[in-house]
Parts: sequence; C-alpha cells; structure tokens
Amino acid sequence: MSATASRPSADPAILRARRAEDVVVGEEIVRHRLATRVIHWTVALFFFLALFSGLPIWTPLFGWMAHLLGGLNVCRWLHPWAGALFFASMAVMFVHWLGEMRLEPRDREWLRPQKVAAYMKHQDDGTEGGKYNGGQKLFFFAAALGAVGLLLSGLVMWFPLEFPRMLRELAILLHDVTFILFVLAVVFHIYLGTAAEPGTFHSMIRGTVTKPWARLHHPRWHREVLGEETRRP
Amino acid sequence: MTTQNLEIRRSSASLWGEKTGMRHLPVVSKFIDTTTCIGCKACEVACQEWNDLEAVPTRQTGNYQTMPELDAEFWNLIRFNERDFDGGVVWLMRKDQCMHCEDPGCLAACPAPGAIVQYENGIVDVNPEACIGCGFCATGCPFNVPKFHAKTGKMAKCTLCVDRVTSGLEPACIKACPTGCLQFGTKDDMVALGHARVEQLKGNGFANAVLYDPPGVGGTGVVTVLGHGDHPEWYGLPADPHVPVGVRFWKSVLRPLGVVAMIGAVLGAIGHFMYQGPKEPRARDGEPPPPPGA
Ligand code: HEM
Ligand code: SF4
Repeated sequence: MSATASRPSADPAILRARRAEDVVVGEEIVRHRLATRVIHWTVALFFFLALFSGLPIWTPLFGWMAHLLGGLNVCRWLHPWAGALFFASMAVMFVHWLGEMRLEPRDREWLRPQKVAAYMKHQDDGTEGGKYNGGQKLFFFAAALGAVGLLLSGLVMWFPLEFPRMLRELAILLHDVTFILFVLAVVFHIYLGTAAEPGTFHSMIRGTVTKPWARLHHPRWHREVLGEETRRP
Repeated sequence: MTTQNLEIRRSSASLWGEKTGMRHLPVVSKFIDTTTCIGCKACEVACQEWNDLEAVPTRQTGNYQTMPELDAEFWNLIRFNERDFDGGVVWLMRKDQCMHCEDPGCLAACPAPGAIVQYENGIVDVNPEACIGCGFCATGCPFNVPKFHAKTGKMAKCTLCVDRVTSGLEPACIKACPTGCLQFGTKDDMVALGHARVEQLKGNGFANAVLYDPPGVGGTGVVTVLGHGDHPEWYGLPADPHVPVGVRFWKSVLRPLGVVAMIGAVLGAIGHFMYQGPKEPRARDGEPPPPPGA
C-alpha cells in the first residue's frame, strides 16, 4: 500500500475556495477565496513588521524588540518602509473588500451599545448585516482611516527636515494616538478571529466555514448562500 | 564620548536613569556678552579647528553672517542683526550654539537610549553611536540647534567641548575670544558675572539690559548678556523658550496611557474568554451536533 493511495483526496471545498467565494460545497461554505486570504495576511504581515520596528522607537519598554530586528538603527530604517508597504497593502484590501463592507441601515442597528453588549454576552438575536456584521464593517473603515492617518503623519516623521516644526509636533501626536487605537482594535480583532469564535480563523486559512458556523455568526449570509434568500441588490 | 570620566545625570529614553551618584561636579556655563562682541569670528574658527569639522561653504545673506543657520559641521555661529533703534541703527552680534539647557527638549524628545546625555556638570551631548538619526531632537529643541548630518546619518551639535572641559580646559571658543566677551566657569560664577555686567550696562544707558537665562528650560548652560533685553528676538532668541507641549504630552501622558491601554486590552480579551468562553454553534433539535472546532 503506497502512501499516496492512503492519503485522503483533497477536500473539494478547499479546492473551490481557491477561486470561488460564497458557494456551498457539501457541508461547508466558501467564505474567503485565496485572493482575499493572501491580501489579508499581507496586510497583517506588514502591520506587525511596522509594529515591532516602531514600538522600540516609541518607548524603551519595548527595546528588546529592536534587538530581534537587528538594533534600533535597523528599526529606524525598516519602520517607514514597512509602514509604506502596510499602507499599500491596506489600499489593495480596501478596494478588494469595499463592495462587501458597505454600511447599511441594519448595521447601524447592530452598532447600538445594547446590541454590542448582547453580542459580547453571546445573547444576540441575529440582527444581521449580511456577510459581515456592523462591528466588522466598522473595523474595516476604521482601519482604512487609521492607515491614512499613519501614512500622513509617518511621512512627516520620515523626512522631518522637510517640514516646519509645528507640523512635526502634530505628526508625532497623530501617529501616536492613531497607532494606539489601531493596536487596541487589532487586539480585539485577533481575539474575535481566533479564540472567541472557533472556526473563524480556519476561514482565513483554508477559506471555508461550516454551515452551523455561518448560521450562528451570519444568519442572513447563511440564508443567502443556501439560496433561501436573494442577495441584496 | 568621554562617558568614563563624567557622571551622567540624565540620558534619553532611559527607563531607570543612569545616575550613579559617584561623582559630584559643579554645573558649568559659558558667559556671552553681546555688548562687547566685535564679530571677529575667532570663536567660529576655533570651534571648527578643535572639533575637526569640515569647512562648510559660506552663504552670503546680505550681512556679515557666515551662513543663515547652524550646521552639522558648523556648531558655532555669530549672528549679525541690524535693527532700527532710537533714530539710528543698532548692530547686534550674538554667538549662537547649543544652549545646554538644564531641562533639554532634545533629550526629552529623543527615542534612542543614551543618544543624548546630560552630564553631571550640565553639558548636553550627542552620542553618535547610539543616535539613530530620526531628528526628533530637532523637534524638541526650542533653539533649533541639533542638525542632521547627511554623511553620517546622525545629529550633531556643540558639545561645550566636553573633551576639553573634562581635562580642565576651557572650551575652544572661549579660549579664542580676544575681547573677553566670552568667559567660562561654574554656572554660579557666570551668573554673578552677568548680573554685575547688567548693572554696569544699566548705569551706561542700557535701561533694559538683562542676563538671558530662560527659566522655561530650567536655565541654560550658556548665559547671555543682552543690551536690549526687552527684545530677545532681535538677537534671534525666543522670549520664553519651553520644551514643546506636544513632546511633553507625548512622553508623559500618551505613552504611559498607551502602554496601560494595550496591556488592558490583552487582559480584557483573556478575561472575556475565561468568563464567556468561545461562541460555538449549539446543536438544534433534530440536528447532529457540529464537529468540534468547526
Ligand atoms: C494575527 C493577526 C490577525 C488575525 C488572526 C486575523 C484574523 C482574521 C479573520 C479570521 C478574519 C475573518 C473574519 C470573518 O471571516 O468574519 C479577518 C478579517 C479581517 N481582518 Fe484580520 N486578522 C489579523 C490581523 C489583521 C490586521 C493587522 C488587520 C489590519 C488592518 C486586519 C484586518 C482585517 C479586516 C479589515 C477584516 C475584515 C473585517 C472583519 O472581519 O473584521 N486583520 N481577520
Ligand atoms: S539648545 Fe537645543 S540641543 Fe542644546 S540642550 Fe537645549 S534643547 Fe538640547
């Protein structure tokens, strides 16, 4: 018996997930096709490269990170480039996802404090935004806005000699506030995408989710892809 | 550079501080009397020579000034200012260089550990080997002193000849001054000298003469006698220099707040998970339970 013969054949859902999105394959649904996943992880890679090269410049508390990257001088060189690449990949992701992230009236409903609290207590009643809920859409737009703020302030800090001192001072403050809020948002984003909601991380790795996952987290999208409801025009 | 011989009082981006308390040195200061400066530029030359700085091309700006601004290779600049005054013209010369602030904005703004140090004797110095050339010090300095050196990629400025001072010599600029308008000694002595000179000037018709030692930066390691003390801006000096509020706010409010918030967010996520657990599909009536981890 050869090893190849005993290996199970590739999961058809994962094969479909290379190109197609929002399709049902057996018991699974394709949520993120390959392009989506590659874009997302490119953004995450450059985000963390910029973060780890920026934190030791921010405070000596994170000085040990600089040693991992080859010293603070390397960080000073690397950080702006990592940031520029982060912005570029963010721009691609923005265009890629914009169509699915459009805010609708029912997203506003989702974002009411009681609803968010119910969501965190796992007591939400299925108020649905479609493929992504109001919180995810908000994160998407906040991240895009944050990336613009980081880029503009970062450019001033990259070439400080080219700008008047008032602007340099403002840039440092804007860069700080934006990145702190960004890190807080990303901490919750990672938590929700991994431990808090099992099955979600898998969707960003292999592309697929199970039907029960879809029904629990995004009931309207679940009905849409199963053909029980037509998609929003 | 001479850190072995000099006690460090303060160091940039230092978590615990570097002060050992081993050596006690009196705070030193330069004394500059703008009223007796003749603009001969001997101090400029002495600075270039002693510090082995390259010759920088002069730039004609319509007066006697060597160049418009300090430079990474030019740390000592006599500023020539002309002002209409009392129906005539006054010609004001001031030696511009690092002021060696008691509370240095450059050191406060610098993110690289040890790149800017303040020695026990008050001298503020840049350590090129630790400097990452980010230019934050230029944003922190209220006197626009530190300059970026394009060739080395580091910041550079007057060291108050820390190497000479450590060996008991006076700074090169002081040594070269032919009129005695530059003096060097302990801060206390230089302040006393300054006040005596100011009194003398007041008796000679300079009613507004002052000793410029701005309290906004805790005083400076360069005290300057100004004949027209009511107009420090005539000499290119800020009336009330401070470490920029943005730099202060960033270092003492935003940074600790940010660190606490980030740690709080991680703990919050862990706490939520321990309290609430994962959100998983529950089996519905008549359906098999979903596979684990799905
Ligand atoms: C290790 C780090 C990260 C992990 C584990 C992670 C995980 C995930 C997962 C599982 C999804 C899919 C959510 C779904 O299908 O409903 C997702 C979506 C998304 N990710 Fe990340 N991500 C990470 C870092 C980042 C970073 C740094 C950004 C920066 C902008 C980002 C931006 C987004 C956006 C905008 C979405 C779509 C909206 C949303 O689902 O909230 N991710 N991420
Ligand atoms: S004058 Fe500028 S460079 Fe010199 S000590 Fe003060 S803040 Fe630092």
